[in-house]
Amino acid sequence: MYEFMAWLQGSPLGHAMRESGVWTYGFVNLVHILAIASLFGSVLVLDLRLLGVWNSIALPAVSRPAVPVATAGFGVAATTGVCLLATKATEYVGNPFLYIKFCAIGMGVLNVIALNRLPAWKQHRNRVLTPEEQQKLRVFGGLSLAAWLAAITAGRMIAYW
Amino acid sequence: MQLRPSICIHLGILVLALSVFPALAHHGWSGYGEEEFEIKGTVERGVSLAGPHATMRIRADGKVWDITLAPPPRTQASGLKEGVIPVGAEVTIHGHRNKDPKRLEVKTERVTWKDRTFNVYPDRK
Repeated sequence: MYEFMAWLQGSPLGHAMRESGVWTYGFVNLVHILAIASLFGSVLVLDLRLLGVWNSIALPAVSRPAVPVATAGFGVAATTGVCLLATKATEYVGNPFLYIKFCAIGMGVLNVIALNRLPAWKQHRNRVLTPEEQQKLRVFGGLSLAAWLAAITAGRMIAYW
Repeated sequence: MQLRPSICIHLGILVLALSVFPALAHHGWSGYGEEEFEIKGTVERGVSLAGPHATMRIRADGKVWDITLAPPPRTQASGLKEGVIPVGAEVTIHGHRNKDPKRLEVKTERVTWKDRTFNVYPDRK
């Protein structure tokens, strides 16, 4: 782990983060937070819908805007996250919250991959789902909410270790 | 179907449980001791204006201390830029020590070098 962090810190990205002005970290941090807000905001609405809130709104009407916003948010958050880490990567070795955060992100991503393989999700744009299928999607909504809440909580706690 | 009340309650408890997590260190002052702390040493690694807080390292009585300064823009505004204090220079650090006695770290309010004082947190005494 230390070798990887040292490599990341010594990479051109690490140098750029440290040597391009005193506001660089703050600005990248801002973009990271905006991306997390986009990811979590859209995921929250979709997950609550999957859990059974606003059942009167058709699921595709929620998923169509939520999925691309969440995907873009994740992409930007992951990219800026690597930049922030690269600034002083070795200082985070041994910080338990960093490992908890990465595990939680891994769970969130695995949940998305599993959801995309689920027939109920593949079909939800074409027809109304059966109660059994809705019940299955509910589980994915709950897991997703737990994973992203854990990721954000652990991420915030990194700074307080 | 409406959201079952039990889910609302569970989510509420989760949010509350997460929000009372103790703040430990680094950001803010809660991870540092109440009493004023001062240490003299020689600069081991000069000021770095990178990351969430500017940092430097000093050596005092053979031990290396991590000196945490203000965020980079604020540290720079106090006049403490990278390279201003050379490695090997003798400095006095005034601030608050990390509450964990095993960690040699000071959250700094001001740095004194020769006749110059850099008030990185000018609103704190």
